[in-house]
Amino acid sequence: MNNSTWLIRREFWENRAIWMIPAVFGGLLLLAALFGQVSLPRLTSPHESEEAAAAYLVAIGAMFYLVMGVYSSWYLLDCLYTDRRDRSILFWKSLPISDANTVLCKLLVGMIIVPLVYFAAADATALIGAFILSIRARASIGSSLWNGDIWWQVQVLWMYAIVTTAVWYLPVAGWLMLVSAYAKRAVMLWAVLPPLLLYILERVFFGTHLLGQLIGRRLTALPSVSFNGSNHVWTHGGGVVDMGGAPIPSVWQLINPSGFFTSAEVWIGAAVGIALIVAAIQLRMRRSEI
Amino acid sequence: MAALIEARDLTKKYGAHTALDRANLTIEAGRIVGLIGPNGAGKTSALRAILGLTHYEGQLTVLGREPFRERTALMKECCFIADVAVLPSWLRVDQAIDFVAGVHPRFRRDRAVAFLAKTQITGKRRMRELSKGMKTQVHLALTMAIDAKLLVLDEPTLGLDILARRAFYDALVNDYMDETRTILITTHQVEEVENLLTDIIFIDKGRIVMDTSLEDVATRFTAVAVTADRLDAARAGKPFHERHILGKVVLYFENADPRQLEGLGEIHTPSVADLFVAKLSGGAS
Repeated sequence: MNNSTWLIRREFWENRAIWMIPAVFGGLLLLAALFGQVSLPRLTSPHESEEAAAAYLVAIGAMFYLVMGVYSSWYLLDCLYTDRRDRSILFWKSLPISDANTVLCKLLVGMIIVPLVYFAAADATALIGAFILSIRARASIGSSLWNGDIWWQVQVLWMYAIVTTAVWYLPVAGWLMLVSAYAKRAVMLWAVLPPLLLYILERVFFGTHLLGQLIGRRLTALPSVSFNGSNHVWTHGGGVVDMGGAPIPSVWQLINPSGFFTSAEVWIGAAVGIALIVAAIQLRMRRSEI
Repeated sequence: MAALIEARDLTKKYGAHTALDRANLTIEAGRIVGLIGPNGAGKTSALRAILGLTHYEGQLTVLGREPFRERTALMKECCFIADVAVLPSWLRVDQAIDFVAGVHPRFRRDRAVAFLAKTQITGKRRMRELSKGMKTQVHLALTMAIDAKLLVLDEPTLGLDILARRAFYDALVNDYMDETRTILITTHQVEEVENLLTDIIFIDKGRIVMDTSLEDVATRFTAVAVTADRLDAARAGKPFHERHILGKVVLYFENADPRQLEGLGEIHTPSVADLFVAKLSGGAS
């Protein structure tokens, strides 16, 4: 095994929350499936069954995705700060591992590996949950949650979401890591206050709010950039909704990789993210202690 | 062979404060060097620079490398303990061994395991469950199992009780030190390392005040305890420091002619601690 593998293992040793939070969250959802009130509409047509399966899988995926977003942000904000706070950085730095390697492994964990863990947990929860629900509500939903085709489509959706999320939010991740490598205390305040201050200064002195729009768009516009316009599943997902008999779009119609990967906005953001990460590595080299 | 550590005009500034002010030092292989200075003298800054943990001005080579630029390569041949309390609290002993074994090409797992077998510490314990003395033993086990040319210790026994301190230094001398290795220690507990060292470097206000081997201390420095009536005669020899103690005055001389001092009083070689105080305070105390 090489250094990066060890660095990633180390993150799992240190941050047991990486798998404990999705495990507990999935467990809670399953408890709800086991003991909660099940009142599902009676599904009659194959079309309704498909809708139910898609809505079920997407709803579970979306919930895990949200929790993941919160955890990953916190992880990235904390990852270069904790070992400076407890001074264990002096131990890690006594080993022949470069700072770039350390920072990039933490980035990889926060942006790819944590999402993969949540993806696995969402899948496990969806499968066990479908099993529980189809037994408890056999009369109304039957086996409609067991739809192999839709299940595969949701896997594709997850993978696509992980990749686009990682690229789109790279500048946010870079900023969080930079703060994490820089702050002597109160990382949360450091992450929020400087952009807020710049935003206020811009408003006061120029009367514009370009920065606010830029940040707001970066935080919210991922679905519209990475998916095609008519996204029924996003607007109706989370519940079984009658979509007026229109066929549900396949995942290949939903995702928009050619649009996403040719968007200048995406690559400008990624470049900013890379610059911030390079800066975080430089700070990591120079700032050993608090 | 070139010197193991060579610093020329090594300077480190933190804003307006100068922690290291054009310090020059040379450390040869096979020595145990004490870098000794009062708090805030620049000891830690010097070590941080040597270990590549901080940016600096001036020239510095350690094992033929530039530490800041080549820290990763340097750490294959050099290891350090910067205060023993720095092992992270969540780390388990067996994880620590696995990790170092995984990333360090010169780590010998059997040595670390053998060292820990002599203690009460088991692999499943986390650092937060261990006493400070036990943590020291774990860190020492990890460090001593690395076949390094240079070992740097920064206040290694700070906060340890006397038993743990003694055990630390005994292990260092008996199990670790041989002629192929070099140890650089900073401490302000001079008495404790005095009979361990082969060389001493005094540092004060960012400058190297003295750099000498302990063999040279005996020939270079003399202390004479004189009674008040002979004080003026003794002062004629130009002592660099005086210390008043129990009705006598101890005068410290550098490069004095021993024959000149005979008959003035009781002659002895000053201890490192005495020399440290004498050199750094200057004049009378």
